[in-house]
Amino acid sequence: MSNLAQLFFDAASLGGLYAMAALGIALIFGVMKLVNFAHGEYIAFCVFALIVPSTDAVAVMFLGKAPALILIPVILGLGAAIAVASEYVVFRHLRKADPVAMMIASFALGFVIRNALLATYGGRPKAVSLWPGLNTPVDIAGASVPLLQLIVILSTLLVVTGLALLLKKSRIGLEMRAAAENFTMARLLGVRANRVITGAFALSGALAAAVALIMVTQTGVADVRMGGQIMLVAFIATVLGGLGSLPGAVAAGFLVGIVSVVLQAWLPLEARPFRDAFLYTLVIVCLLVRPQGLFVPASAKPRV
Amino acid sequence: MSKLGVFDIAVRYGKVPAVNDLTLHVDEGERVFVSGPNGAGKSSLLKAISGAAATSHGRIELDGDLLTGRPPEAIARLGISMVPEGRDIFGSLTVEENLRVGTGLRRDAEAVEEDIAEIYANFPILGERRAAAAGALSGGQQQMLAIGRALMTNPKLIMVDEPSLGLAPKIVDQVYDTLCTLQEDRGLTLLIVEQSSLRAARVGGRMVLMRGGRIVGEGNAADMVDRDALAAAYFGQSPEKTETAT
Amino acid sequence: MRSQHATNRLASYSTPLILAVLLVGLVVLVAVFGDRSLARTAAETLVRVTLVVSLWIFVGNSGVISFGHAGYMAIGAYCSAWLTLKPQSKALFLPDLPEWLMQAQWHVLPAAIAGGLLAAFIALLSGAAILRLSGIAASIATFAFLAIVNTVYSNWEGVTGATSSVVGLPRYVDHWVALGWAVAAIVAANVYANSASGLALRATREDEVAARASGINMYRHRLLSLVISGFFTGVSGALLGHSIGVLNPDSFYLGITFISLAMLVIGGIGSLSGAVVGVLLLSVLIELLVRAEQGISINETQLALPSGSQEILIGIAMIVVLIVRPNGLTAGKEFKLKPQWLRQSRLVGAKSTN
Repeated sequence: MSNLAQLFFDAASLGGLYAMAALGIALIFGVMKLVNFAHGEYIAFCVFALIVPSTDAVAVMFLGKAPALILIPVILGLGAAIAVASEYVVFRHLRKADPVAMMIASFALGFVIRNALLATYGGRPKAVSLWPGLNTPVDIAGASVPLLQLIVILSTLLVVTGLALLLKKSRIGLEMRAAAENFTMARLLGVRANRVITGAFALSGALAAAVALIMVTQTGVADVRMGGQIMLVAFIATVLGGLGSLPGAVAAGFLVGIVSVVLQAWLPLEARPFRDAFLYTLVIVCLLVRPQGLFVPASAKPRV
Repeated sequence: MSKLGVFDIAVRYGKVPAVNDLTLHVDEGERVFVSGPNGAGKSSLLKAISGAAATSHGRIELDGDLLTGRPPEAIARLGISMVPEGRDIFGSLTVEENLRVGTGLRRDAEAVEEDIAEIYANFPILGERRAAAAGALSGGQQQMLAIGRALMTNPKLIMVDEPSLGLAPKIVDQVYDTLCTLQEDRGLTLLIVEQSSLRAARVGGRMVLMRGGRIVGEGNAADMVDRDALAAAYFGQSPEKTETAT
Repeated sequence: MRSQHATNRLASYSTPLILAVLLVGLVVLVAVFGDRSLARTAAETLVRVTLVVSLWIFVGNSGVISFGHAGYMAIGAYCSAWLTLKPQSKALFLPDLPEWLMQAQWHVLPAAIAGGLLAAFIALLSGAAILRLSGIAASIATFAFLAIVNTVYSNWEGVTGATSSVVGLPRYVDHWVALGWAVAAIVAANVYANSASGLALRATREDEVAARASGINMYRHRLLSLVISGFFTGVSGALLGHSIGVLNPDSFYLGITFISLAMLVIGGIGSLSGAVVGVLLLSVLIELLVRAEQGISINETQLALPSGSQEILIGIAMIVVLIVRPNGLTAGKEFKLKPQWLRQSRLVGAKSTN
């Protein structure tokens, strides 16, 4: 029983993390049909913003020293800033290009950010201890759950409901949803393209920053590669959820997290290193059955 | 000075010209029908005016303000609204949300609410289904919603592209009744693409005939139903020629 | 008199000839005037030509971006290593290989071909699944495929050596061997592009929906191009392994995916000539940047670019090309003999026989 509870908390917190990352990808895809390969690098950028630039193995806290109340908004703002900046510098000039060109450009941009980080911080993963107290276990329903897991689950719920409210109730949210469905029509009704796109990038970047904070607290490591892996999962979740569908991205993010945790628990020991291979193969099989995504009505035509 | 002035514009898609040397003036409060065969460039003309398609030559003005080169959202802010072909309703948004998308440019919050109430009064079915997904509406209801949505930007000029497309004749009557009433109430200027010149004649107004990206005939819609003028547009003779021939 | 159509066709077959002459010319120059390090650079560049041309066979014709080709490369490279390594070193580093593979000691050429065939087979399997998706979704799935291959090869200790490198591969790939394969890939790419399947596939590139509506079985053509592309990509992997002598799963991951896509995009995805031009241009740029990172002395002051600036500058170059010249430097055009010339020469030939 306690094992099951443990599994539940693991799945919920990992799923939440994936859902947040997937939302970041889906938001931008929805508004401008861009598959943003730089998203993982936004995450890595936010992680490294916590520490002093140096190539030493042990990280010295920089922004990470600030108290949480200041740190969290600053990092979220930083994530939003780099995303908005990348839109301004790169993607704005590709508005009329086809989605494939934008996708390749984002891949190149991600590579640039990644190598800039490598050049500044070196390639070795660094130990970072941000809020170590949060890893103290708490007993719930017979399972010993690190406080952080609870916080992750709660903050995911918070972020997802917050975003849902924002999209549903605010002016910019309405404009984003309209733009995601038919950008030209929205503009014909006076919706400002730049405002909507900048808004989407800012939200997406802030989500990347939230993911970064959670990952760094959980793993205690700053590694340039950490963004890439979660970005891949997020991509998969957005495709599984139906490209462009925000609720689909959240649901698929949770699903991938759950399957991933279950595989980790049930796979025989010698097969565990291959967990991701099993996971991605499962995903490809899923897509074979439902190419338009799991959470999209079968009648809907693929949007890309 | 005319309300809308289109001066010698050209629109091309790649190397294919869609509109050529087209000049058109629309006066305030006027109702103008654009008619002509498929591929005549009617929709391209509306797209050029709304900013959805770029012009490669010429200029377009509204009340003397230059529209050419401005993005669609800026043109919408100057007072042009569009009911596109196929309606382009936001299917995943609710009916009321569809109406509110176009209110972002307005600063008169009370008037916005009054306008919404008025649209619901004019189209009770939209009021009943205000919280339903717009994609679930019937074709006729969607056309009404598209017209209501276009009104919400508080425009001076509304352009309607093929309002009768895919609708039953009875519904089309209703759509035109509504458009005409709205025009009278609000002093709107209307520019309507309508394939059926009979329909245009019945509704009344000025009619412009297009063919091959150019205007080939112009006059009172009722007079234009005259067979010769139509034949000219559809079969390729210019109206002057037919006149001299007869 | 030859018809217009036939002359045009002949002209399109002149593309691989021009490209091959260009490459042969470069290699001869290097062989005559170059030193050893230049010869190595030439070999590396030609392996990249093989890779990028293989990538083009799929991407250039289908318009679907693949992030998964580094995976096919890894498959070809490791397959060739299994077949050519000495049994003693296999017993030491790769103890879990099946017995027949353990004892295998193939000649390098059939081993490279076997690597290509295995990669082609995996391309068939993976493509059968991935290519059912539409464009962008398929691209993401190819990325997942790359991750699958990387996960497997980085963890399958007894068969791939996992993250510890496989060493001791016979280093037989010099600039001549690489030239042979590069030319073979170029010819195959041209033949495929001008085949019925290649032409049909390129018709789908602009508009999937319209092509589908006109009855083109896009799925089958995409799969065929991926299999051919997979074969040569696998071979290019084998060549890479046998030119540096060391294999590591991470040398077939994001770095090479990025650089091969950058070459393709900068040269121009739309044409085979673009693929080759992109490789040559970027290889020169990389070489210059690597030297600049090592440092240049001017008037006793040591100037050096910080390390990593190579990747950063290439990334920026790629973005700039995408913005300024979205169709790449060649803008989708091929190098080819002008049809008029072909007709002219034909006329001259006809006269002389009279």
